[in-house]
Amino acid sequence: MQPILRARDISKSFGAVRALEKARLTVERGEIHALLGANGCGKSTLCKIIAGTVALDSGEVLIDGEAAALGSPRLAEEQGVALFYQELSLVPQLSLGENIFLGREPRNALGFTDRAAIQCETEALIARVAAVAGTGFTPDARVSDLSPDQRQLAEILKVLARKPKIIIFDEATATLDRRQVEVFFDILRELKAEGVSSIFISHRMDEVFAIADRITVMRNGETVAEFSAAETDRYAVVYAMVGETGAIAASVRDHEPLEGDARLVVDGVRSTRLGPVSFVAKRGEILGLGGLQGQGQKALLSGLFGAEPFHVGRVTLDDVDVTARRPADAIAHRIAYVSGDRGRDSALPGRSILENTAIASLVREKRHVIPGAQFRERFADVLTGLNTRYAGLDAPIGSLSGGNQQKVFISRWLSPAPGLLLLDDPTKGIDLGAKGDFYLLARKLADEGATVIIYSSEDSELLSLCDRVLVLNGGVITADLQGDRLTPFELTRASYGDAA
Amino acid sequence: MNRFADHAKNPLLISSIAILALLVIGELVSPGFARGDQIVRLLTVSAILGIAAAGQNLVILGGREGIDLSIGAVISLGAVIAGNVMNGSNAAIPLAFAAACCAGFLIGVVNGLGVTYLRIPPLVMTLGMMGVIQGGLVVLSRGVPSGNAAPALMAFVSRSAFLGIPGILFVWAAIIALMALVLKRTRFGWSIYAIGSNENAAVLTGLPARRIRVLLYGLAGLFGGFTGVCVIGYTGNSFISVGDQYVLPSVIAVVIGGTSLSGGAGSYTGTALGAIALILLQSVLTTLNLEFWGRQVIFGVTLLLLMLLYGRQARLRV
Repeated sequence: MQPILRARDISKSFGAVRALEKARLTVERGEIHALLGANGCGKSTLCKIIAGTVALDSGEVLIDGEAAALGSPRLAEEQGVALFYQELSLVPQLSLGENIFLGREPRNALGFTDRAAIQCETEALIARVAAVAGTGFTPDARVSDLSPDQRQLAEILKVLARKPKIIIFDEATATLDRRQVEVFFDILRELKAEGVSSIFISHRMDEVFAIADRITVMRNGETVAEFSAAETDRYAVVYAMVGETGAIAASVRDHEPLEGDARLVVDGVRSTRLGPVSFVAKRGEILGLGGLQGQGQKALLSGLFGAEPFHVGRVTLDDVDVTARRPADAIAHRIAYVSGDRGRDSALPGRSILENTAIASLVREKRHVIPGAQFRERFADVLTGLNTRYAGLDAPIGSLSGGNQQKVFISRWLSPAPGLLLLDDPTKGIDLGAKGDFYLLARKLADEGATVIIYSSEDSELLSLCDRVLVLNGGVITADLQGDRLTPFELTRASYGDAA
Repeated sequence: MNRFADHAKNPLLISSIAILALLVIGELVSPGFARGDQIVRLLTVSAILGIAAAGQNLVILGGREGIDLSIGAVISLGAVIAGNVMNGSNAAIPLAFAAACCAGFLIGVVNGLGVTYLRIPPLVMTLGMMGVIQGGLVVLSRGVPSGNAAPALMAFVSRSAFLGIPGILFVWAAIIALMALVLKRTRFGWSIYAIGSNENAAVLTGLPARRIRVLLYGLAGLFGGFTGVCVIGYTGNSFISVGDQYVLPSVIAVVIGGTSLSGGAGSYTGTALGAIALILLQSVLTTLNLEFWGRQVIFGVTLLLLMLLYGRQARLRV
């Protein structure tokens, strides 16, 4: 029998970035297929191509053995492909039933929406999840009144209502609790029995092995391995995700454990999606925060900086309480924060380079009047020291490239040097040269006595830069990797919830 | 980028050219329009608008859709307070300024608290405040004009203090210099641009964005109260809607002067030139002896042309 979906030789570039290169994916009829790979390996892009939201550059997609025209989500849907969105596609003002049938409302003889049919079909759908839906999950409940997990269920029902042949679940279980995951799996198995195929992207290895029939692993835009779930184990899957290249990169630096006492003590901190988290860090240490995206790394950093204060817990630096209620508190204790989201967190668009770099120093030094030429020279020196290429201090910040902008933003915190430097995916979207300068700077600051905590979405960055990596999963620390254990393999394994 | 094009889009240059062009047109239409004493008279009117626009300028620079629509009502309030405090007595002039400025500042602070802590959109907050003040004025004054300006105040606004120039123009010049100094050379000035440009980033550099914004609204009220005293000095006595005519012109002067309505960019020097250009445009149109509707059409078209000249202020790449 023909596989329901066969994608072959799929290539896709975004500008100069190759997202996919000869990726392939084959899904059998009535199969639950897990698609795995590290962040940025191209699995989401591949799914978007199959669902018609991204156009492919070359390659072919066959559905039921026939070449599929996937120009738009609607075309893909007509051919039986449905993509499950994470809480993005609901209209809060409409009822559950109206949402489920939005754009495809059943009509009555006069051409008006057939409310009775919506009611009836929605009730049939709700019956499938009745066990976990909770109270108020009725066809005419307004979506804005539903709880977040009920909305997630609504998204699933919305997909089911289209009676698709293939459903793509991109991290569908990320926000569900254990019981809801069970129900979700029951739905998947039921679909499977009806001959519907699912493509299942998850970062939880337990779930993958609990539900998947087959597993495809991608790495750097290529499909590198296909497994039958029953005939493989986690070790082999993780190994395929990391690849041999990773092992070589890890041996480049030696991971000597640092001497000295803890100077940063984080004790039982907790915020909305984080904690409780406790750890210590030493003077001169570069501490990495690893794990999958959105596991609380950013919440930890912005909590330490006071941007999103912790609800409970205590932070001390050199035996001084530095638990911050607002960024100004942290800044007063020589804590610095550099975000990778420059547009949102760092840039003052339209303002000069001088203003963009000097404003933080004015606050720290409690100056009310802008000093003269010496002040300018000070910042010119710092920027030159960072190899920043810029026309002049009065040029607007927007005239710089991303990497040079980021150097301006980090220069805010360099005179005087910070005691604790928090880096939140700082090299996101900047060129390689600037990245190199950035690593050197972080190392230099650490050698001069600062403690550096860095979150990076690129594992290789953590592996080459950090003395130690804490892996976060679901808002708590699940592994503390250092010395011999700081390898790509261990990092990936810990990230995917399979820590030893 | 092209140097010439850069300069051609400089609001200060465009406003200056507009001012010269309007003077020439006025002189052509009605000889004597650009005579020295006429210019001083026009500048005096511009000064009153310009001082009101200083407050408007600050809240607009601070971003977050900042605007103060209550400024007209605050001007009226300032005028009424000043009129009643002075009641024709020169000795009470300092007290009149102090009382009007304090009242304006307090109202502005309430606006600022509503905008920052209660997250009420500035348009709604200040519009509501406008209604409250106007209503309050009707109740307090029972609708009857009361109080009048001290002679020395009237002289300050309209009679020569030095070389044929009235005192208010010296005060305005001082305000222009002070605003330029504060905006360019103090941390407070830089903070205003920073929170207007990107509030989140400003907070992450340690700036108390909310407190700054409350203060900006407070200052807008203070400038409104100050303007109110100048207005009663100009008109002699106060009636409770005397400030209404300044609401939109104060915003327009800021915009003509090149301040971005989204905040974070602009200067008060530009706003001052914008106020002069706006007053000139109005007098040229009056001189033309057009019907009311004709004046409105030309007024609107000129504003749109001016905006077109600035071009779309490209949001800088980040």
